[in-house]
Amino acid sequence: MEAGAHRQRRAGRRARQGPDHAGGIGLKPQRRDWLPGYLFISPAILLFVVFVAGPLVAAFGLSLFHWDLLSTPEFAGLDNFKQLVTDGATVRAVINTFVFALASVVTHIGIGMLLALGVHRTMTRGTKYFVRTAYFFPFLVSWAAVALIWKYVLDPAFGLANYYLSATTNWLASPTLALPTLIVVDWWHTIGYTFIILLAGLQTVPAQLHEAARVDGANAWWRFWSVTLPVMSPTIFFATVITFIGAFQIFDPMVIMTQGGPDGATRSIVQYTYEKGFQSFEVGYAAALSLVLFVVIMVVTGLQFRLSRRWVHQ
Amino acid sequence: MGAPVKGKLLDLVLVLGGVVMIAPLVWLVVNALSEPIDAFQVPPRWIPRPPTLQNFQQVPELIPFAQMAWNSLQIAVITTAGALLTSALAAYAFNRLRFPGRDQIFSVLLAALVVPVQLTVVPIFIMMRWLHLVDTTVAIWLPALVNVFGIFFLRQYISSIPRELDEAAIMDGAGHFWILFRVILPLARPGLTALGIFVFEASWNNFFWPYIFLSSPEKMTLPVGLVSLQGAVGGGPAVVLFAAITLVVLPILVLFLIFQRSFIASIASTGLRA
Repeated sequence: MEAGAHRQRRAGRRARQGPDHAGGIGLKPQRRDWLPGYLFISPAILLFVVFVAGPLVAAFGLSLFHWDLLSTPEFAGLDNFKQLVTDGATVRAVINTFVFALASVVTHIGIGMLLALGVHRTMTRGTKYFVRTAYFFPFLVSWAAVALIWKYVLDPAFGLANYYLSATTNWLASPTLALPTLIVVDWWHTIGYTFIILLAGLQTVPAQLHEAARVDGANAWWRFWSVTLPVMSPTIFFATVITFIGAFQIFDPMVIMTQGGPDGATRSIVQYTYEKGFQSFEVGYAAALSLVLFVVIMVVTGLQFRLSRRWVHQ
Repeated sequence: MGAPVKGKLLDLVLVLGGVVMIAPLVWLVVNALSEPIDAFQVPPRWIPRPPTLQNFQQVPELIPFAQMAWNSLQIAVITTAGALLTSALAAYAFNRLRFPGRDQIFSVLLAALVVPVQLTVVPIFIMMRWLHLVDTTVAIWLPALVNVFGIFFLRQYISSIPRELDEAAIMDGAGHFWILFRVILPLARPGLTALGIFVFEASWNNFFWPYIFLSSPEKMTLPVGLVSLQGAVGGGPAVVLFAAITLVVLPILVLFLIFQRSFIASIASTGLRA
């Protein structure tokens, strides 16, 4: 009762002063918000410290040691990092990952955009439903299932790919074709997500803008260039960043379909981290490798944000 | 003039593309329903004859399929409920409450969005081993209870809810718990649903984390179970593997067909609001 009355008095004071859109009253933070504030963020922050921030720091520490998880860790200084540069497999894995990520982004955004534009045009309701569903279905299938299905689709003897392409190629065993093949499989799996996001962005483009441009005599191509793209630029930017980050972390198809082979042709950074950390138990080296991934993602994402100022409309 | 014809042609191309997209899934189901000798024929057969369910019966003989499905479900439900709760609490605090360090803490969280889970997996594995949690489902859902994207996403969502509503509740003497659970969250339902579907789907399909942490078949989730079945089938009939994949994939596709509208809206909103 006491507390209730007290609270009401405060509420009255608050009401007299009017709502404050910064969240509190006046310039000074209100002390009464402190406790609930910290209380409300504490579960997330506690978990964050234990499972994100702590391990992040620990990964830096681990990278300075030689350790097989069993014997006592042995301080190694920068040995692991020196090994990174000279280890041909690492260099190969970094290159493979970059190739995979670049190809992913180009095909996802490019083809996703074409699909979204195609579906967005007026077409019959049934066609729209079928096309949207068909392209989205594979996204719902877990990578594990996708990888297993495609191992059989790509089978040189009885797979769908060779039959319909009239080929006799052993896609996953070819050092030159294995990585492009995985890029196609990734495309099949993930295009539905990019497509839906781009389609949603496309639907936010106001029809009046198009009408106005049409009245001004702009043709379809020019309307796309001067109206659709600028309005959609935040969505395209988001899709690009997400696709890049996802592609840099690619792991599942390599582990299930190729084990990084043939001869390291499809080995990705994450898959190599797994090999080092959980198969040959070089924990320190694995930590150093995962830091490479972190730096790559950070630099590329930072670069994208920097470049975005030139083309993304806010 | 030529426009309608061009439109029809484009429709045709899109539909043909759609057929190619679902062809591997149709092929999956047809083979799963085929006798081993009829499966994987060249040219590919698109209608199983006669359809048989015997491959499906063999799945539980090779892997504890029901247990794996239960593990997947359990992990996905705990992860989704937990991540929604911790995210909602934090999102409310970061948007509506004022406390020292609020914006700095939020910036640190935002920066952590680019930290790949692969960076944390080795230290967390060591920690879990020390806690004797390796090869338990706890190792999968515990670290997933915090979802930085979820906090960010819900904060954006909550910021679009008018403050006048909680001001009114405060005048009625409501505490922050009451405001969050009775005023804000009911209004944030679409956002919660979107995030929930997103988190559930990601957990259900997750392969990397369970593959590293789970080794006993009865602890495995479905994606890892499928890959282990591939080994168990060995040189045996791959149709059993196809039957198992069908059992995993088909329910999801059916659920999607039923809830397509809200599902697509959820996926779309994760892209629009970020």
